[in-house]
Amino acid sequence: MPIIKATDVSCQRGQFTLFEPVSFTLAEGQSLLISGANGIGKTTLLESIAGLRSIQLGNIEYKSIDLLKSKDQWFDDSFFIGHKTGNKKELNCLENLRSFLQIQGIDVSEKQAEDALDKVGLAGYEYQFAGSLSAGQKKRLALARLTLIKHTVWILDEPFVNLDVAGCDWLLKLLNQHIDNKGILIITAHDNPSIRKKITHELVLEMQR
Amino acid sequence: MKPFLSLVKRDLTLGLRKKSQIYQPLVFQLLVVTMFPLGLGSGAKTLALIAPAVIWILALLASLLTLDQIFKNDYDDGSVESYVLTSYPLSMAVMAKVLAHWLLTGLPLVLFAPVLGVLLHLPSSSYGVLMLSLLIGTPIFSFIGSIGSALTMSLKHGGLLLTVLVMPLLAPVLIFGAGAVVESALGNSASQHLLLLSGMLVLSFTLVPFASAAAIKINLE
Amino acid sequence: MKKQRTNAIVTLYHKLGSPPSFYRISGYFLKWLLLISIALTCWGLYDGLVLAPADYQQGDSFRIIYVHVPAAWMSMFIYAVMGIAAIIAIIWRMKVAEAVMIASAPIGAWFTFLALVTGSLWGKPMWGTWWEWDARMTSELILLFLYIGIMATYGAFSEDARKAARMAALVAVVGLVNLPIIHFSVKWWSSIHQGTTVSLTGESHITWEMLRPLLYMAFATKFYYGYSMLKRARLYLLETESQKKWAHTVITENK
Repeated sequence: MPIIKATDVSCQRGQFTLFEPVSFTLAEGQSLLISGANGIGKTTLLESIAGLRSIQLGNIEYKSIDLLKSKDQWFDDSFFIGHKTGNKKELNCLENLRSFLQIQGIDVSEKQAEDALDKVGLAGYEYQFAGSLSAGQKKRLALARLTLIKHTVWILDEPFVNLDVAGCDWLLKLLNQHIDNKGILIITAHDNPSIRKKITHELVLEMQR
Repeated sequence: MKPFLSLVKRDLTLGLRKKSQIYQPLVFQLLVVTMFPLGLGSGAKTLALIAPAVIWILALLASLLTLDQIFKNDYDDGSVESYVLTSYPLSMAVMAKVLAHWLLTGLPLVLFAPVLGVLLHLPSSSYGVLMLSLLIGTPIFSFIGSIGSALTMSLKHGGLLLTVLVMPLLAPVLIFGAGAVVESALGNSASQHLLLLSGMLVLSFTLVPFASAAAIKINLE
Repeated sequence: MKKQRTNAIVTLYHKLGSPPSFYRISGYFLKWLLLISIALTCWGLYDGLVLAPADYQQGDSFRIIYVHVPAAWMSMFIYAVMGIAAIIAIIWRMKVAEAVMIASAPIGAWFTFLALVTGSLWGKPMWGTWWEWDARMTSELILLFLYIGIMATYGAFSEDARKAARMAALVAVVGLVNLPIIHFSVKWWSSIHQGTTVSLTGESHITWEMLRPLLYMAFATKFYYGYSMLKRARLYLLETESQKKWAHTVITENK
């Protein structure tokens, strides 16, 4: 039973349609890798699916509800991490992690947040300002959110970028676990071949003719 | 209510850590006020005459310095996503942002106004009305400013555009705000002005969050 | 290319305001709008500047109202049209409404500017000064700022015309809600600060001979607006639809 159903979806930049319309369906425990050349619109598509942008061409249904009509259920069940990490450089790691999720209505205790930081290898950095972290550590801080949420659909834009080998391994394990728990994953990851093993669907975006 | 309070708390923490957002507008006001006697001459009468208008215009200009920051920082670092991608209404998040902005920049302007009043020889009977009018008026700056900020958040240099957008909309606030202080300085009742000013606050409270939310959504496209 | 599915509301509005049919239909009107507006302007100006009697107080200088008043009327009329188009553009995302909205702004701004300049020219003999902070003039000036804000917003997002148009539309709607407040507060403000000033369009008994040219000019400016707005709106549609077949055909045919 498909949970997400996208029909003839494409995105526009200015008046230009970016790629040939794509369709896909995803059910529990399935995952979608979006690939394609640079500038083809992977991020734009991902942001449209996440609901950050509106869907300009075609439509997407979640549990048979058109996202153009209501996104509430979709927002409750999906979680997006994009290019921008969403960390505030004047807040420390604990505050960043907790406030980001609390603003979305997800309660996170200090203990839970500490555990999450521990899992992503940021133990000892709890009270360090996010502004002083390295790019990889900032990414880890953002990804730590994934260990604290119960959303079924994860939408991740290039989550492996900036991560070291250990970080990639950890993330891969986390994603596998999510899929095994009947979660859904929509991801772009152009430089990570090992993610493909677990991927059930792949979408290659092509230039609009 | 919890996401709302979390957002207010986060912004207050950020503001109190950066502080420049709080004291820079006040320093700006102080500097400009110093220029008036230097330019006009130190005649107490002249200064007292222009004091209400000068203090109100300075409050307007000082808040313009910080208005673009309401959404711009969140857009730049991506944390705007935390309140766009939820089923909680975006207009509530706008309210939280406006409240935090006002507490950090509007309230200090209200509290600092008497100092400017002293420097400009404002008649002592007008201080109450001055602070009250600013107390009602500065939140309107933050509200209307949030629309401008939401519209310009994705621009690198949106400051001037924001000024062009916001200034004409704030003209009525200036008319009644400064008008209230002038009336009280003349010994008249300012209640009519203050009531109209309150009306504008209520109106912006009810309408602006939706306008700003719409602007954020269009801007993210 | 595959046929793209859109939802019901969008389909309905596409029928009502599809860019190619708007482009085609408006094409028939352009010439007539321009001709009528030129004819009415010539007639109106002749009637106003030559036939109408001189004012017993102001002499011939009153004749500037035949430009000033229609321009001031247009500055508000166009804002109203633009505001309505902006609401439609935001709520229903109708491209034709965006086009009408964006096309109206510069025309409205020019009429506002014209009203301000002619008002100032008239002010010299009337008030003895080029500028008086009279309620109408002040409102008109703020209206010009609103127009400038709308155009500046559109210009700031030039990389994506449609997004720019929707942003500008939002500014227009916010301005539309504020206009009555601005108008009222400026009137109040001027009544406190200056007592009674001589109003530019005073209640002085105006004869039919004096009124008639004003009506001609009021219609002439409306036709001109129709012409200029459609012309600009068509250009906007061609630009934003330049990837579509119909626009391509139009462009190659007109080469």
